[in-house]
Amino acid sequence: MPKLMWLLLAPFLAAIAAFVCPAISGKSKHRLAVAVSLIPFLMLLSFGKEGIGEGVNVPWLPSLSIQFNLRVDSLSLLFLYLTSLLIPIALLAQSPENLPFANAFYGLMFLLQGCLIGFFTAGDMVVFTIFWEAILLPLYFMMILWGKGDRRAAALQFLIYMFAGSCLMVAAVLALYLASATQGEGTFNLDALAALASQASYAPWIGTVFLLAFSVKTPLFPFHAWLPDAYHQASTSGTILLSALLSKAGIYGFLRVGVGLFPELMRASSPLLLGLAIAGVLYGGLAAWMQSDYKRLIAYSSFSHVNLILAGVFAWNASAHEGAIVQAFNHGITIAALFLVAGWLEERLGSTALGAFSGVAHSFPRLCWLTMMCALSSMALPGTNNFIGEFLIFFGLFGEHPWLTFMLGCSVILSAVYMLRWMQEVYFGTEAGLLPGRPSDLGCKELIIALPLVFLILWVGIYPAPLLKQVISMNPLSSVEKA
Amino acid sequence: MTAVLKVADVAALSPLLILLASALVLLLLEAFNPQRAKKGSFYIAIFSLLLALIATVMAPSSENPLFTPWLRFDPFARFFSLLFLAIGCASACLAASFFERVQATHGEYYFLLLSAVAGLLLMGAAADFLTLFLGIETLSMALYVLCAYMKKEKSSGEGAIKYFFMGALATAFLLYGIALLYGAIGTTSFEGMREAQGALSSSRQTLFWAGLAFIIVGLAFKGAIVPFHGWAPDVYEAAPNPVTAFMAVGVKGGAFAAFARLFFLILPPFHPVWNPLLTLLAILTMIYASFVALRQVQLRRLFAYSGMAHAGFLLIPVIVGGSEAWLSLEFYLVVYALATLGAFAILALFDKRNDGVFLNDLQGLFHRSPFLASLFTLFLLTLAGMPPTAGFFAKFYLFKIAFQGGDHLLVIVALLTTLLSLFYSMRIVSILFSETSAEGTPPTLSWPAMWVGSLSFAAILIVSLYPNALLSLL
Repeated sequence: MPKLMWLLLAPFLAAIAAFVCPAISGKSKHRLAVAVSLIPFLMLLSFGKEGIGEGVNVPWLPSLSIQFNLRVDSLSLLFLYLTSLLIPIALLAQSPENLPFANAFYGLMFLLQGCLIGFFTAGDMVVFTIFWEAILLPLYFMMILWGKGDRRAAALQFLIYMFAGSCLMVAAVLALYLASATQGEGTFNLDALAALASQASYAPWIGTVFLLAFSVKTPLFPFHAWLPDAYHQASTSGTILLSALLSKAGIYGFLRVGVGLFPELMRASSPLLLGLAIAGVLYGGLAAWMQSDYKRLIAYSSFSHVNLILAGVFAWNASAHEGAIVQAFNHGITIAALFLVAGWLEERLGSTALGAFSGVAHSFPRLCWLTMMCALSSMALPGTNNFIGEFLIFFGLFGEHPWLTFMLGCSVILSAVYMLRWMQEVYFGTEAGLLPGRPSDLGCKELIIALPLVFLILWVGIYPAPLLKQVISMNPLSSVEKA
Repeated sequence: MTAVLKVADVAALSPLLILLASALVLLLLEAFNPQRAKKGSFYIAIFSLLLALIATVMAPSSENPLFTPWLRFDPFARFFSLLFLAIGCASACLAASFFERVQATHGEYYFLLLSAVAGLLLMGAAADFLTLFLGIETLSMALYVLCAYMKKEKSSGEGAIKYFFMGALATAFLLYGIALLYGAIGTTSFEGMREAQGALSSSRQTLFWAGLAFIIVGLAFKGAIVPFHGWAPDVYEAAPNPVTAFMAVGVKGGAFAAFARLFFLILPPFHPVWNPLLTLLAILTMIYASFVALRQVQLRRLFAYSGMAHAGFLLIPVIVGGSEAWLSLEFYLVVYALATLGAFAILALFDKRNDGVFLNDLQGLFHRSPFLASLFTLFLLTLAGMPPTAGFFAKFYLFKIAFQGGDHLLVIVALLTTLLSLFYSMRIVSILFSETSAEGTPPTLSWPAMWVGSLSFAAILIVSLYPNALLSLL
């Protein structure tokens, strides 16, 4: 069996094991789960770039010409790395104490990992669609089982909103299939469809349906109504998954299907999409500024940054695209780190309201510096990872629309404003507010969890060459333009 | 030449004979030895159903001219026989769970169940409108009694009366249609109809179409297709749980067996005439049922509406026609039957009062019984057609053939109503997974129902992961 198949199967087998055998108890189970969740990451490290070009192709439902087709190219590889790295982090973000239904938690986490790996490697339109929807289920159950507050409504709203965005996608997939059937054997193969999608009748409509689905999931402004509630009511690990991985699924969709299958539509609607994305960047930034709750603040900041990435995708310029891909990776790292530290802060303060506490840097100096690190990365300070990506996006966009670049540039100022406001109100200033119990500062274990993220923030920020080389080699736009 | 019955011919007929013989045995047992009937009738019923299932698989097909004008033993009939017998087994198991709670006579129940299944088998294998009618009536008569089985319950009687009147009306429509058709072409056999329809004089044509329209109305009543659905919610709500389960899959399956035979095998050239009418029915059914289902709190009633919406989906392949559409209808019907029976098996465990299971009874089920809640969730997701369950493949297949047939509007309406069905399914799921409250009813673990639930669960898992497993069987 090819290695790629094992990469996909490992998390699913782990999920089955987690659901079926409840034998091990307590802390060792948590350690075991983390170890198992690292398996895909280790597999990726072991075959690394050799994996590119690997594929699995088995007939799945031959009478509907559906092939179970997976393949890895360099774009998938980047998102695979992100997935396999962030799932263990999300697992670690959940403390094994007071975790009801631990087995279900681990099982769902593995399921999500498997679905994401399947999604990022899918080479068949139907497989792509199935994993696209399947990603939602583990997230929904995590939200409803381990979320907070009014999670039932938030989870239902999240799922229905997502499904509403993509419910016509099946029709679009079938329309593509029929378009291919007019030119010989009907197929769902993505590469084959890429060659003929733009000649299909109603191609703009088909493309629009796909773009709508991706816009809701990412989310692009103004399809973000589900976001604040979902991010806020989910548990820390749930929020990490939503912000760092689900939004990447949407971006991957834009790059893979949007740019790959409907380049003309993307190019033609670039002004509109770019306008929406920039509106989203500014709206997200302003909304983050006005929040009185730091978890919502980060949620809106994530929304703002994701729209910045989309602006890079929509700018239709090679370096903006490279920037968008780099930034997709960076945003995953940074936002996971931010929600991680926000979760730790929430554990210690027992509240996510701004203004209830201040000057807590005295009590938690290490947490304060770690938060500072992540906040600076989110502000795209030179030397951190976000600087590289955002700079490339601005650079690419400047060549096309200098004025828009100027407007977009305001987002950097905005992000400094809201991030520093958070830092200032909670960590600095005079000590106020009574801490519940006697919470201690970050321990060794927590620092070790954060270490890989901090390492990546600095590594990409200081020495981005390896990542950039990888990204430039895979830029879908350059291949489209060549063709 | 006089035809002689050979052993092979009797063997071909054996599933029906086995059912009828054991139905009689059950009735006699109940009459002469109620004590023993209480213990043994479930086993006799399930044994005879399984035996009939094996007989259907093993039996050769018969071309004896004594049978062929009335009954067919083609792959089509075989598929429906297997489906109906399996449904019979499942609903016998659900009945066994039901009788653990309720004090009532047993023998009659299984007698009626076996008769109903025999009626369904006749419907699946009919080669003549009279056989079809005989099958429908055998099924309906048995069901009228089954609906009123809890005769001391007020609502049960009410539901049964409603069902009886509406059923009688449907029968009248059907019979009238058959009479008109006979007037037009001078025969009631399907074969004769196929031959005659091409060479109809224009004066006969009106008669023929009118007859067919009445037949469609009659079948639409049985299949609970909007606007002929009025009876379904009340009857589903009032009937005992195992009877409702049987109606949801069995009667619906029977109606679609008749639809399928009529539109796949006999009337394909007529399509242009019927398409707009059936398309309208399908769209109405899907939209109406999905919207009304959103507001239901009693689960049997909810399943009545969700079943109606599925009937709308099942009309899609009937409208499109062709051998691939037939395959997709089979696939959908099997997946629907599995998920619905599974869901009713779970409901059977909570069915403590006579007014059925309400959403509140399931509040926080996951916290009390994660296994049952997961099973129920899978069944609901399958019914909603959420990827990656088998329900998605079933719907995808339907959409594909509809798209190929050029019915784009139908696909778009169907996709949008899928969103609604997802909403009402997920609303139940979110109740299952919500915080525990004192309100919830604890389940009574009853083995026969657990078997049905677990087997459906396993089957759905297999079909979800490898849909070809089912498709290659069909």
